[in-house]
Amino acid sequence: MQLAYYPGCSLKQSSALYDVQSRRVFAELGVTLQEIEDWNCCGATSAGKVDDFLAVAMAARNIGIAENSGFAEMVIPCSACYSRTLVAQQRLADDPALQQAVNGELRRPVRGGLKVTSILEALVERVTAGAVAQQAVLKFRDLHPVCYYGCMLTRFPYRVTVSDSVENPHGMETILEAIGVRAIDWNYKTACCGASAAVNDPQTAMNLMGRIFQDAVARGANCFVASCPMCQMNLDAHQETFAAALGLPQRLPVYFITEVLGAAMGIPPEELQTDRHFIDGTDLLKELEPHEHDAD
Amino acid sequence: MIEAALQFQPTEARTFLQEVAARSGQNLAACYQCRRCAAGCAVGDETGFVTPNRLIRMVMLGDRDQALSNELVWRCVSCYTCGERCPNDIQTARITETLKKMAKEEHVPALQPKVAHFHDAFLESGVRWGRVNEMEFMGAYEMKNAFLEARRFRFGAIMSEIRQQMRLGLAMLRLKRMHMGFLKSGGRAEIQALRRKSQAARAAR
Ligand code: SF4
Ligand code: SF4
Repeated sequence: MQLAYYPGCSLKQSSALYDVQSRRVFAELGVTLQEIEDWNCCGATSAGKVDDFLAVAMAARNIGIAENSGFAEMVIPCSACYSRTLVAQQRLADDPALQQAVNGELRRPVRGGLKVTSILEALVERVTAGAVAQQAVLKFRDLHPVCYYGCMLTRFPYRVTVSDSVENPHGMETILEAIGVRAIDWNYKTACCGASAAVNDPQTAMNLMGRIFQDAVARGANCFVASCPMCQMNLDAHQETFAAALGLPQRLPVYFITEVLGAAMGIPPEELQTDRHFIDGTDLLKELEPHEHDAD
Repeated sequence: MIEAALQFQPTEARTFLQEVAARSGQNLAACYQCRRCAAGCAVGDETGFVTPNRLIRMVMLGDRDQALSNELVWRCVSCYTCGERCPNDIQTARITETLKKMAKEEHVPALQPKVAHFHDAFLESGVRWGRVNEMEFMGAYEMKNAFLEARRFRFGAIMSEIRQQMRLGLAMLRLKRMHMGFLKSGGRAEIQALRRKSQAARAAR
């Protein structure tokens, strides 16, 4: 099975490991993620703060490419890209004049009908179909994660329809359950990490991340699992700073959902590039044993 | 007499409210000050007095100066919690985004210049190349910051910023999380045409 795939800029740069892992894990599940050709930056949150029309138009061009290449569904791992694309699609559908204005400049105009899917939605679908459990040959011995969703995947600046709960999403927990991992319940799964504030307003971002970290530690988690490259990078790269500011000695690796899944599927850590984290998490991911599938 | 926290500007009130409502797509007048937004605001500790509901009231009262330059407008992280929970479906992040744009157009100095520099540099990179190159855009962003600090003769601030970014940069290099190639999309001509269209529409307004 082939699905259109929009990696976005960060998966081609600082979060290249996420790109590698996503393709690999989906391949294992029998899905080829086909990168759409000549895609462009979605505009991220910045476009909305600088130029409203571009915020829709940039994401629209990618939708047009996917549709005109004959795809019915496009998977997007990055939460910000997913949010921008989903919102742009809805705004175009609600505003024919806007759609006309945007399409006027596009070589491959938006026609409508493409299903825009987050990586979690695409994975949950495969959990429901039984494919994930089937591929999970190994079981973690000592993984006690909290699932961190952040903002972009859960809340939107415009009315769109999504499958998961807004205040208490469960997609990641569902996926982890399929490989025998029980995630710890906690209060900060949809809290904000500060996103770009980590760069342009560090004081605010460190406070936000400090609170997230504190709750994870208090619940006894030994790692985070995330699906957004921005959240992952923030909690990972700045953990030394905000954890030290709180006087907390713990350091928790921040995994992508794909590397946890990949490890359970028996994909070697080198192939998953798990050594590219700021907070080292390679050991914990190696604590695996063969999965004893239930006798029934 | 106690001095009022917010100023009513009768001549400004109607036009300012209409402008912000139209540009943000939010019906500010529906706000009944229940403060659900304030209770959940991610940056409540940082912004102090100016909560989302109070920002809305500022706009409604026509207090343009305060509305364009306050902690919430410049510290809002666009987490959309306020809008998700608002019983009247008001998305304050769309309002803070609108006020940032208006501040820029009216040459009101940004309270957090780095926030403005960041989003400008990001979008410039995306429009110029079709894709955002992290290193190029971070460089442009730091140049904007350094330029402003230099104009204020704050060279210490420039140095500490460089040191901080270098530390992160080196760690990223070690972890192979820094990309050395250059990203481009052939679609950048289309994106640039779209931007010209947007600018023309703005000029016409
Ligand atoms: S939640 Fe909505 S109605 Fe209530 S104070 Fe905030 S903006 Fe106004
Ligand atoms: S979107 Fe902005 S104003 Fe609204 S809760 Fe988040 S930080 Fe506060």
